[in-house]
Amino acid sequence: MSVGLVGVFLVAAGLVGAGAFTAAWRRDLTAALAGVPLMFAGAGVAFVGVSRFSVAGGPQLFGQAFAVLLAISAVALVALGVGIAGREASR
Amino acid sequence: MDSLHAIGFYVSSGISLAGGLGVALLPLRDQRGASMAVAGIGLAGIYFSLSAGFAAGVALVCYVGCAALLASVQYRTLESVASVLGRQLGAIGAAALVALLVYSAWRGDFVHGAFFGGAFGAASVGRVLLAHDALATEAVAAVVLVGLAGAVAAWRLRERAR
Repeated sequence: MSVGLVGVFLVAAGLVGAGAFTAAWRRDLTAALAGVPLMFAGAGVAFVGVSRFSVAGGPQLFGQAFAVLLAISAVALVALGVGIAGREASR
Repeated sequence: MDSLHAIGFYVSSGISLAGGLGVALLPLRDQRGASMAVAGIGLAGIYFSLSAGFAAGVALVCYVGCAALLASVQYRTLESVASVLGRQLGAIGAAALVALLVYSAWRGDFVHGAFFGGAFGAASVGRVLLAHDALATEAVAAVVLVGLAGAVAAWRLRERAR
């Protein structure tokens, strides 16, 4: 049993698709915002997979670093969205 | 990649995808928050099995934070103005996106390289973030600061209006 770059990309596609489906399907805008971290997760998996499998001659850490940035951006986006939704709902 | 890492990757992938589907389909915010936490745990497992231990730790913290935000009492609903037909078209578009990504992954011609895959990577990732990509790191830090400040300001305004 082994894992290749194609398998990593398939998982990334699944996560991006789940996020896009969440963003499109939920009637509540705040719940739809939860799809964005899932799409970021898919992108991060793809970056880490490329960093893991497609490097010749040593570790290139750009993919891992970009995955870290995507995760931090996801939590910031959700915080901002929940804050804005709370403000709009209180009006 | 040996069998143990491969098993970890596939199990973590299943957990993460199940959590993602839970976020999309479960009705209550507590359940969606728990599903986001499950997706984060699976994502951290994926990163860890791909020899990205530091990214796994950061992703776990961030996605559990997302889950806490989605399940918190500050959560308020905002009804969308999109029609049922629009939402159904969006869901079909998401399915088409998955099909396109799967096709491109399946048909892609990738060059396989070698990676020793042993390091946890905290120091190396730190060097990349704080030396090579310092500007991008500062930009993301600014986004985080604006997000947190906006959330705190919105919360204070709501509390003051009560």
